[in-house]
Amino acid sequence: MTRTSDETTPDIEVHQLSVWYGQTPALRNVNLNISAGQILAIIGPSGCGKSTFLRVLNRMIERFSDVRVEGTVRVGSFNVLDDHVDVTQLRRAVGMVFQHPNPFPMTIFDNVAYGPRIFGMRSSTQLRKTVEDSLKQAALWDEVRGKLRRGAGTLSGGQQQRLCIARALAVNPRVLLLDEPTASLDPVSAAKIEELIVQLKSQYTMVIVTHNLQQAARVSDLVAFFEQGRLIEMGNTQEMFTAPREKRTEEFLTGRFD
Amino acid sequence: MSKSDLSPKTLKPIAQGRSAHYVMAGIGVAAMLALLSVVLPLAVQGLPRLNMDFLFKPPRELGGGGIGPEILNTLIMVGLSQCISLPLAIIIAIYRVEYDHIRHLARWFDQGLQIVLSLPTMVIGLIVVDVAIVRWHWPISVESGILVLSLINWPFAVFLTVQVLQRIPDEWREASRALGASRWQTITRLILPVAWADIIELTGLTVARLMGETAALIYTAGLNVTSRFAFSAPGETVAVHLWYIRTEGLMPDADQVAAATGLVLLLLVIAVLWVSQKFAEWVKNANL
Repeated sequence: MTRTSDETTPDIEVHQLSVWYGQTPALRNVNLNISAGQILAIIGPSGCGKSTFLRVLNRMIERFSDVRVEGTVRVGSFNVLDDHVDVTQLRRAVGMVFQHPNPFPMTIFDNVAYGPRIFGMRSSTQLRKTVEDSLKQAALWDEVRGKLRRGAGTLSGGQQQRLCIARALAVNPRVLLLDEPTASLDPVSAAKIEELIVQLKSQYTMVIVTHNLQQAARVSDLVAFFEQGRLIEMGNTQEMFTAPREKRTEEFLTGRFD
Repeated sequence: MSKSDLSPKTLKPIAQGRSAHYVMAGIGVAAMLALLSVVLPLAVQGLPRLNMDFLFKPPRELGGGGIGPEILNTLIMVGLSQCISLPLAIIIAIYRVEYDHIRHLARWFDQGLQIVLSLPTMVIGLIVVDVAIVRWHWPISVESGILVLSLINWPFAVFLTVQVLQRIPDEWREASRALGASRWQTITRLILPVAWADIIELTGLTVARLMGETAALIYTAGLNVTSRFAFSAPGETVAVHLWYIRTEGLMPDADQVAAATGLVLLLLVIAVLWVSQKFAEWVKNANL
């Protein structure tokens, strides 16, 4: 599939980002940078703005009514918050995986082929190749080969989540946003997804929101700790978990948090 | 300990809480009996008359006629009014559900729809009489009947389609949009393919409802039929014919004809519901 945006894995630069839902602030003056090919894990208590941050990066935030944003967000060559940004191309470059596996009520094949078809891929040989490649990349191919015409609903929860990852990969994104991708899965399926994330590392710049601190420690290069819409601390994963600079971070990591 | 103590036992429902079950079952049986007490005499009286002659010949005031033109009128009027009102309803429902940025508009729309839905069909019939027949000089005919049926069906179809679309989880729309699909692409590639099966099944309901419509058709489509079909010719339907036989008809075999006509109407409705359900199932499976 030809890519119209830049071929390289992009970096992400967020400058003075604030978001409000109506009058309620959700993010306040967030500044952070992610270099190309790195995995950033975002941790923090519920309602701290993690998901909001993620949804700004591909502008899915605009689906909510009454949202106001301020600041600049750059993903590769996309100036995300610009009024004239090509949202279609942006979202094609920035794939997203959700907390609950949400495959479409179609066949496994049609699920993965949905994105490429949207972008005009018609030839069935090309589609088959893309679907196979994406499923392989998502480590699902061996389990579903020969069953591509079955409904996606016949898969287990973990398989469905990997199918959603394959669906996101099929349009050839450069960035992956993962919103608590293992939160609704059993430990074995969660471990598989984690393994997959590590495998995809360096090919994609990734941002993963997670409630699972061990998971953050295992998969990420960088960790950002959010609290009440503010970025409290961000740093190298190892440093963050061994020697956090901020007291709040330490309290959160050690479970002494209220 | 004896051997039988070790073998697994079957768990039977405990007697506690069974009385409500018996009451419900009793009510159910009573309802079935009430229904059968209507349908069975109808079948006994009507079945002997149900032959090819009855199904295809025009009615005769002196007895011995059929309901051929009425069946044709019913099928054409209901079919065409669906062709007109269903697409309009789907478009409106899509606008209501998929483009609901303007909250106030959506609220007004829902209120308005409730009001239109609660209008008796008779009122819609009178409006058509006043506008189409009196002012535009349309004849009392098939075409006026189609207009009435379309107007009756439209809000109902909108209501049902809105329900279908609202039942589609937002997660799917979200996934589609996050892949870069536009709102329109999401509607055409995801929402409609997913919704078709349910829309078809519910359309069966609306077709059955139109088939039974009488009040609004009596003074718009009329109580007569012609031997050859025409849009400008009077278009009595099966249901209206039934009403006519029972109130004004003078044929000596009125009881029999009425029973047979009722039976035909019943069979038509059953057929429509059955076909729409099967078709919906087929569409659903075709998606998978």
